[in-house]
Amino acid sequence: MKFKRNLPLILTLTLFGFFVFVPMISAFEYSIRTPLEGGYGWKHYIWAVTQDDFVYYIMRSGWLAFLTVLITLLILVPTITWLHLSQSPLRVLIDAISLLPLVIPVVAFAVGAQISLPEFVQSTILELPFLYFVLCLPYAYRSLDIGLSAIPLKTLTEAARSSGANPIRTINSVIVPAIRGSVMATVAITFVLSLGEYTLTVLLHWDTFPTWVTFVAQENILGAIAISMMSLIIPFLILTGITLALPERSNQGRK
Amino acid sequence: MTHLVIEEGAPTRGRTFFTFPLKSYLPALPLLLVVGYFFLFPITKLIYVSFLSNENTLTLGNFVTAFKDPYKTGFINSIKIGLFSAAIAALPGAFAAYFIETRGSSKLRRTIAVMNGVLANTGGVPLAFMFFAAIGVQGQITKILKVLGWDIYAGQFSLGTFTGLLIVYLYFQLPLMIIIFSPAIVALRREWVEAAYNLGANQFNYWRTVGIPLLFPSFVASFLLLFASGFSAYATANALTVGNLPLTPLQIGGLLDGNVSASQLNLGKALSSVMILISALAIIPYLIIQRRSARWQKR
Repeated sequence: MKFKRNLPLILTLTLFGFFVFVPMISAFEYSIRTPLEGGYGWKHYIWAVTQDDFVYYIMRSGWLAFLTVLITLLILVPTITWLHLSQSPLRVLIDAISLLPLVIPVVAFAVGAQISLPEFVQSTILELPFLYFVLCLPYAYRSLDIGLSAIPLKTLTEAARSSGANPIRTINSVIVPAIRGSVMATVAITFVLSLGEYTLTVLLHWDTFPTWVTFVAQENILGAIAISMMSLIIPFLILTGITLALPERSNQGRK
Repeated sequence: MTHLVIEEGAPTRGRTFFTFPLKSYLPALPLLLVVGYFFLFPITKLIYVSFLSNENTLTLGNFVTAFKDPYKTGFINSIKIGLFSAAIAALPGAFAAYFIETRGSSKLRRTIAVMNGVLANTGGVPLAFMFFAAIGVQGQITKILKVLGWDIYAGQFSLGTFTGLLIVYLYFQLPLMIIIFSPAIVALRREWVEAAYNLGANQFNYWRTVGIPLLFPSFVASFLLLFASGFSAYATANALTVGNLPLTPLQIGGLLDGNVSASQLNLGKALSSVMILISALAIIPYLIIQRRSARWQKR
């Protein structure tokens, strides 16, 4: 009886799992091949992680992603809190603007950035976190917006203010803890998206971890496959870690 | 006398012209500045420049070239791959979302949600490797199928062709469909099924008169988003094709890098503007439908 009820689910998962895992496992099988000795081994993974560039690019992508998260939280949390509290006429406008990056294909955005940003901006890699911020904006904004709608924001703010907290303290020790689920979700999506961003980065001629893989592929294809496998597993682990750290299906997002 | 008048007038003027806008707009300033400078300004300039000739005079010449070959074929291919990949992924993705959301345990749903989040963002070289390893010339599946008597490379097939690219695109389109269609499934309430059954409906009637009409707008919206995603994908196409398949994102990339020379300097910008237009035609209806269905999806 139970099996019969679950049959469609099992069937779905089998088909979907087959489609997802067959290419993944095939690539994994390639990445542990050792053609010279025959058989299998971790040779290419060891080769990859002992490259100087490996550490260099993973650190570089890591701190670019970290900066993007920082910019996202610093700009969005206070702004959205304020929009919720003030009933400013700007809210409609900013809601619309936050969705706009979905409309613009990344390739077009890259062309726009290249022709319009001045030399002093384009000569520093620090332009990337701001551009990544734009790419993540629709997801980050939505997640924080839903989180803030689900808490009694006005009551909390008034309580904090009348207890003597200034606006910064109110945000840090009252609002952020109250919406930590949304904040963590925002951190996760922003971090993972910026870590894996390829199109914009390569079109603006920057080198990060995802673009470095392309370069490695030219000299050591099996090593590049090993790196690709890692670039799939690292975001998966980050996201799983963050999801498991959150309370299960909390009432956030639902009033 | 004059002195007195000015002193009296000052507070009112201050409140109406200075204090009011500052108070109601200042906190939004950081966001507006960053988004304005790094996003709205580049996009506006891009669209403006696409109307400029090499001599910086206004012209429609770039767009005339953009709609001629090889760029015309690029647009047709890109639209086709967006439509086909969305059409193939939409129904299976919707069914998968339905079974996972209604039959799956909470743990399973959360694991799959995370997995889909990662899968929907795979692309470029890593994704290309996976498919080379599976159905490339030396791929595992290719070998297995060959043993079974079906040589997929007997005909025109290769991963760099339209069909090859289409199969690879499904790898991120299918998870994307599950992600964006799941909220609609979650919002279908048990009470509605029960109410329909109490009124004498069977499963077929329920789906025909309640389920499908409720889910249909979200389904169309998801389809539109999938189209835009397939239409504008760059990294994967770039990793798989070697210039044999004209696609607009690749042509823009080529013009931007100077790999391809064009007599019109601003041709790439015109192609980008047309891409924005096509993408907007899909995404804006998507956003409107999403917003409307969010009303009944709220509890």
